[in-house]
Amino acid sequence: MKIFSKELFKLEFKRSFKGLLTWSLSIGLTMVFVIVLYPMVKDIYSSIPAQYADFLDSFGGIPHNILEYFATEGGLMLQLFGSIFAVLEGFNAINRDEREKTVESLYQLPYTRSLFFRTKLLRVFTNVLIFAFINYILSYISFFIVKESIDFGQFSYFNLLNMIQLVIIAFLGFGLACFLKPNQKNMIAFSIPFPLYIISVLSTMTNNATLEKLKYLTPFTFSNPVDILKSSATFEWISFVVFCSLTVVVIFLSYIRFNKREFMV
Amino acid sequence: MSTIQVEGLKKYYGRHRGLESATFEVNQGEIFGFVGPNGAGKTTLIRLLLGLIHKTGGTATIFDHDIEVNNALLNKSIGYLPSEAFFFPEMSVQGVLEFYQKMRKIDSTKVAEMTKRFELDPTKKVEELSFGNKKKLGIVIALMHEPKLLILDEPTTGLDPLMQQIFLDTLLEEKKKGVTIFLSSHILSEVEKICDRVAIIRDGVVNQVFEMNSVKQFEHKVVYLQPPVLDSKIQGLKLVSEANGNGTYDYHGNIDFLIKELAKYSLTNVTIRDASLEEIFIKYYQKEVL
Repeated sequence: MKIFSKELFKLEFKRSFKGLLTWSLSIGLTMVFVIVLYPMVKDIYSSIPAQYADFLDSFGGIPHNILEYFATEGGLMLQLFGSIFAVLEGFNAINRDEREKTVESLYQLPYTRSLFFRTKLLRVFTNVLIFAFINYILSYISFFIVKESIDFGQFSYFNLLNMIQLVIIAFLGFGLACFLKPNQKNMIAFSIPFPLYIISVLSTMTNNATLEKLKYLTPFTFSNPVDILKSSATFEWISFVVFCSLTVVVIFLSYIRFNKREFMV
Repeated sequence: MSTIQVEGLKKYYGRHRGLESATFEVNQGEIFGFVGPNGAGKTTLIRLLLGLIHKTGGTATIFDHDIEVNNALLNKSIGYLPSEAFFFPEMSVQGVLEFYQKMRKIDSTKVAEMTKRFELDPTKKVEELSFGNKKKLGIVIALMHEPKLLILDEPTTGLDPLMQQIFLDTLLEEKKKGVTIFLSSHILSEVEKICDRVAIIRDGVVNQVFEMNSVKQFEHKVVYLQPPVLDSKIQGLKLVSEANGNGTYDYHGNIDFLIKELAKYSLTNVTIRDASLEEIFIKYYQKEVL
């Protein structure tokens, strides 16, 4: 069985390359900007009044070194904007052909829908990987620029979990497009990362034990940069298992759905 | 031997009709025309045949295989030209052609020949192409793998007259090679020139197939006269309706004779046009009913 179509992959990759590069560089350079500012802003944190410091606790608290600073200022941003990129990548992989009306030209080719599905999924996975890698490299270089040493293992560990979270969001977006009717506005894809991110923020801010459990309902928990890089909290495996399992189920159902999908122009 | 067999094929989009009922056969090696007004269900039928959408009822086979969504094997033998050919806008014509060529695993000889014949500029970007040039790109893609069946949706729309002629000649060449061609159109002259048989779709229903020769006898002119000539003795001119000082007539016969006869009357306005395909089929139906 052919796992994927090399030609289709190349076409899809080529078509998405400009977007991938734009997103990767714009978020990557934002990370660079955030990190290179550290020497200038690190003194500000020590002069923050106590009442503001309590408020900041909800967003990671006051950082004591560059990695903690990255966690609170850059990591959270990377999580959110990265998820927006990821969900659009996943959603557009299905939606774009219908929106741009290329669906009739593409699906007249003598290949099964399954092959199209696998190739598109692989392309989405590749793009998310590249995005995460570019951000990882640019951030890492920035630490050198400001001549700050970091725990490489801890930083890489966060990036790995962040990449898994982005893949999950991308695949959920992919699944969403398979289940929706054709020609949907891609803004609809934001319905995945935004509520999940808000749930994550709420579960962090609350002191209510029940509401705290909401953290298991969002993939942002297991890749939370503050927990990983600042608090050195234990790995949130429940959130990880829940969302990995959910993604597997969504992809399986999307596969069935895609094979029966009506292509409309 | 039939290449396409359709029996009571039906498609509803929820409560909306796409296709009410289609029954016909397309024989191997023939050019089969499929005509009807916009919204009649032509494109829905084509999409059903291509397995892009699910049928609601009825049966359809191509090369004796039931059509269904996701029929990749059938696509190997089918060349399809959509009514509006959309390709990847940011890519060059050459890039698009290479993609399809590699996906279909064919050599570039036929592609190069077709590109030359249809005067396609391979260096241009798809987004820079006019509607007609996009159509030409679609034609090359539909024909490049030498399919056994061509399904063409309004193939000549957007092509200039010269290119239309080249395209129709190409279809006749393909027919000689034994290719079956199923084309939807609303242009009588094109259907007339190349089709062996033709079916009409009205309000989602296709139930009768006509030999092209039998349709030709219903060709006529529609004549508008102001003021109407109510006591006309002109042979072949028949009053259809009269309102607001205008008369509408059907005319069967020699146009030179008609003009000479009309010159004998005092008229303020005369319009003569070819009857539309639909008008011709209405006449055909009326005769069938009678």
